[in-house]
Amino acid sequence: MSLTLAILPGPSIGPEPDARWRGLKGLFLMTPAGDLDSGNACARENAELLRRMAGGDRDALAELYDRLSRPLYATARHILNDASEAQDVVHDVFLALWENAGSFDAGRGAAFSWAVTLTRNRSIDRLRTRTNRARLLASSSPDDLGYGSNPGDIGTGDRAELVERADAVRSAVDALPAEQKRALELAFFSGLTQKEIAEKLNEPIGTIKARIRRGLIKLRDKLTHRL
Amino acid sequence: MIDDRQEELAALHALDLLEGAERDQFVAELERNAELRGRVGDLRQAAAALAHLAPAAEPPAALKARILASASGSASRGRAPEAARTARPKARPVPVSSWIPWLAAACLGVAAIWSGRLYLEARSESASLREQQRLAQRALEQTRGQLADATRLLSASGREIAELGAKLKAEGDLAHFKISMLASMLGNSPAALAVAVWDPTREQGVLAVSRLPALAAAMDYQLWVIDPQYPSPVNSGVFAVDPVTGEAHVVFRADKPIKSAAKFAVSLERKGGVPSPEGPIVLLSR
Repeated sequence: MSLTLAILPGPSIGPEPDARWRGLKGLFLMTPAGDLDSGNACARENAELLRRMAGGDRDALAELYDRLSRPLYATARHILNDASEAQDVVHDVFLALWENAGSFDAGRGAAFSWAVTLTRNRSIDRLRTRTNRARLLASSSPDDLGYGSNPGDIGTGDRAELVERADAVRSAVDALPAEQKRALELAFFSGLTQKEIAEKLNEPIGTIKARIRRGLIKLRDKLTHRL
Repeated sequence: MIDDRQEELAALHALDLLEGAERDQFVAELERNAELRGRVGDLRQAAAALAHLAPAAEPPAALKARILASASGSASRGRAPEAARTARPKARPVPVSSWIPWLAAACLGVAAIWSGRLYLEARSESASLREQQRLAQRALEQTRGQLADATRLLSASGREIAELGAKLKAEGDLAHFKISMLASMLGNSPAALAVAVWDPTREQGVLAVSRLPALAAAMDYQLWVIDPQYPSPVNSGVFAVDPVTGEAHVVFRADKPIKSAAKFAVSLERKGGVPSPEGPIVLLSR
């Protein structure tokens, strides 16, 4: 079964569903119909930008940058804790998207997911190069991953949309059991392996695997349900 | 149908947490299982949503310009395959000879990459050596400065040592001197004071007297050195004192070689002195 993103309107959204959907569009909700057929306007727009980029349209690259750069930069900066390195990562990611736009297949995933994966992997590669494993284990902590930190003032317009999107994810993650939330945060941001996460949380590795699995599935389900 | 084990592996794979053989096996399984691929895609996108948990951060404005500038020098690869697909004729067997230029180009490419790598390594090593040389040069300059300071200090110390040595030598010489206080032997000049200092090296002495009574014109004070090697005192000259203060300061030598100046004596003699003491002893070493 192939799953793709969808924004599903429905009564559970609330009295002003449109405003909330605007902020949540682009999140990764899967339907068997495929991304481009899902009705997810944001994902479709991103895919269209990639198609134009594959044709050499630099304006499309600029527009995609405007849409994705903030969460990508925030992710890289959060993983690396270094603004300069985060800029390098984001630069490399957008250049990779530009050079490989022709290979993008919307049926296999959303552009945002692709960009986040590139950003996260490159950030973690840099982190692992920069930091030895022992230091990594000692310095990373679920409490300092910034989950509870103030998201900051990021303005209005598109940025407000970004805030709404982030709020939706935060709400979904907040609803997870604490131990699943901590395991997911470490898995996504710390660059630790399964074994290192288990050591960090002082739990058997099987327990950590189960928590990540349950947490990720619940996260997907909660985001799907909300939308 | 996806079982629990597959779902767990899919979740871990979505977060890139699978490693080694476990990852290889799962990737192989993915190639055979479309439903599982879909589940991984599903979970990978849910995982990507976690990016929104990062504290908001605004990229600098210059970053966009930098990316667009880099993109100008780097063509999107999406265009070439598209054009190639439309223009490419139906595939047909290619003669081996046609590969030779490509093979040569590939070899040249590999050689260029290898050379580039060697160049970068050499450049890095060269930079490292230059840095080491710079540090060594600085250490050398510091050492030279320290050496100059040490030389100056040593020179100053040398002068001080020389002065100290001279002083010690003088003190040592002084230690060799024979110093004697002479006491008055006459009742009419009880307040008379005299000190005789004898330098055995130079066989020369100094006599300082005060409060000795002035003498009549026909008389002189005569100084004697008493050396045990001689049966009688050795004449060391005559002197007169200041008629007002009774003082005299006399540098004297003995008429004979002196081995040991055991005592000094002053006698009252006729004018010009006598070979052997005849008059009364006025002053004698204590």
